[in-house]
Amino acid sequence: MIAIEVQNLSVFVINECLLGPVSFQIGIGETLVIMGETGAGKSLIAQAILGTLPKNLRMEGKILINGKNVDDIPESERSALWGREIAMLPQEPWLSLDPLMSSGRQVEEAHQYVAGLSPKEARRQTYEDLILLGLNGDEKRLPGKLSGGMAQRIAFAAATAGKAPILLADEPTKGLDSQRQSRVVELLCDVPKKGGTLLAITHECPVARELGGRLIVLRNGEVVEQGEMSQVLSDPQANYTKQLLAADPSTWPNSKPGRHGNEVLSARNLTINRGDKTLIKNLNLTLHAGERVAVSGPSGIGKTSLLDALAGLLRPKYGQVCRASGLGLYSVQKLYQDPPAAFPPHVSLGQNLRDIARLHDVSWGDVMNYLAALGLHEALLARRPDSVSGGELQRISIARALLVKPKVLLADEPTSRLDPITQRDTLDLIAEISRSEGIAVMLVTHNPEIAEKWADRSIRLD
Amino acid sequence: MTDQSKAKESRLYFKNWPSVSMGRTIGIVLLGFLVICAFVGPDLIGQDPAKQSLLDARKPPNSSHMLGTDHLGRDMAARLLSGAQLSLSLAILSVLTAGLPGAALGVLAAWRAGWTDRILTSFADAILALPGLLLVLMLAAISPGSWWALYIGISLTLWVEYFRYTRQRTRIVLAEPSVEASKLLGLPPRLILLRHIVPEIGPGLLTIAAFGAAATVTAVAALGFISVGVRPPTAEWGVMMTELLPYWREAPFLIMQPVICLVATVLALHLSVGGMHKR
Repeated sequence: MIAIEVQNLSVFVINECLLGPVSFQIGIGETLVIMGETGAGKSLIAQAILGTLPKNLRMEGKILINGKNVDDIPESERSALWGREIAMLPQEPWLSLDPLMSSGRQVEEAHQYVAGLSPKEARRQTYEDLILLGLNGDEKRLPGKLSGGMAQRIAFAAATAGKAPILLADEPTKGLDSQRQSRVVELLCDVPKKGGTLLAITHECPVARELGGRLIVLRNGEVVEQGEMSQVLSDPQANYTKQLLAADPSTWPNSKPGRHGNEVLSARNLTINRGDKTLIKNLNLTLHAGERVAVSGPSGIGKTSLLDALAGLLRPKYGQVCRASGLGLYSVQKLYQDPPAAFPPHVSLGQNLRDIARLHDVSWGDVMNYLAALGLHEALLARRPDSVSGGELQRISIARALLVKPKVLLADEPTSRLDPITQRDTLDLIAEISRSEGIAVMLVTHNPEIAEKWADRSIRLD
Repeated sequence: MTDQSKAKESRLYFKNWPSVSMGRTIGIVLLGFLVICAFVGPDLIGQDPAKQSLLDARKPPNSSHMLGTDHLGRDMAARLLSGAQLSLSLAILSVLTAGLPGAALGVLAAWRAGWTDRILTSFADAILALPGLLLVLMLAAISPGSWWALYIGISLTLWVEYFRYTRQRTRIVLAEPSVEASKLLGLPPRLILLRHIVPEIGPGLLTIAAFGAAATVTAVAALGFISVGVRPPTAEWGVMMTELLPYWREAPFLIMQPVICLVATVLALHLSVGGMHKR
């Protein structure tokens, strides 16, 4: 029996082809994983299957759900399938939960209105669900008070409450640390085992490997490779697939510690509080010029607070942060997790760089040299941050930081939102700059592989 | 700079502004027409709005009086235009005197936080506790019939809105990582204001300004109507309505004129900023 069949699906904006043609089938009890870089059109497939493509996009081809052609049925009938026959686990679910409703109530509503249970029955079922997901006792909490992993599980409970046999998961592990990531993957692996059908979209190789089933690799909207997971992963045919697999941190070569220069930044007996909570206690740390240090640890442990204290943005409770003599006011710079959020949203990138260059007496020619060295085209500067890809934007933010000639670069998960190839390129670039300019880099990451392979030494916060 | 490149430039800074809708076009055109009429019209007509001629009382529109005459034979068109001048200049003035300090204090409160914020916010809350019209009435009682009492009263009640909006938005903007990045890169407060805060609060402030201007025009007319605002013989829409009310049966076209002017002004102001909020 076939749960989802997609025949020659293509998606166009006006006459430009964004995706396709893509064809695949997923049987009941099977798993299909779609991999590819950001902007490859992965999410378009999920949207086309659900029937939620933006209005300005045009779709061609045929989609059958449980043997029924869903392209020409009216929208109301199509939305009637949602939650009952086909469910969607959205990207970053903490953004899709109602922030003002208790998390238990959100699951309860799905049981009550989608599955049609009585209020009493719905409450009982919610209670059971939450125990099963290890969330009992959290039903009264608002989504804002939950961690990313917990919110992901609440969203999972709500999405599957209608007992839909088909589950679409769009980047289910985005933004989660490695422990929480494996918990979510376990949940998803259970779906086909229980007779359901899973279509998962991801850009992380380990996640794809654990989910198993069949794999489609997409690039620029085209299918590059398609086949059984184990076969594609062990013996990739297409060049792009090979690159994608090689970009996974587990396959990176170990970094060779270089020669380090003088001490540039040090912290003594650092204790950091956020509110009443002590996050970091009595930490001693020294950074040397040209050194690469990774900081890892579970979310909420205080990695970002540590960077803020080192940058002088957060006053430590006790202890002190000392800059080496001769370090200027702007010698400590930061890179951010979400590149678009690090730029003023209404101002063109060129304007932003011009402001900084003027302030620090850097000639425009030098700015252009930096951009060229980082492989950035001048034409990007006319755009606003939201119309440049994440990888390019992160490189622009590196270039921007270089304009003020920093000695220390504090990078807060700068690649966690980038796809594997871009992630590797970006981290390679940071390493190269650190080496050539003698900048100490402190990288916060939730990926232990990156911490081990990329950095000269790593600090683990527990 | 050509108009087109100007338009492009402004779109660059205020990307929240969507392309101009039908309603907004109508509003802007109507508003432009009213403003031009108010400030150029009196000279074009060349009639004295206060000149009485009892022989010509309550005349329908004719060649010498475009919109007819009122119960004292004064030219309606001249009186309406002079009223428009009064209402619109009061509206513009009070929007400026309420908006500039209101927005500036809002940014200051969000920027400095702590005690500055607490003191300014409590002060704004205290003003908010007073009904706006009451404040104007109090000031009008001190100095009956003068337009500056109206102006000060209206400005005092309106600035709170700008303050609260600006403070709220600015707090959100200042907490964004992009501002932190800009500060680390050494951008001075002036540039943070210009690049981060102004583009974010600009469109919203313009909406509040237009609504505030409409509220001012209505308040001036309302106070004129109940005879506590400007006094006759000054030509003012609310005063004209009171004067012409007794003749509504014999000459309905007379009282309709200030009413239509008031409605059109408020409508134009509201339409001109309508549909600005994309989010």
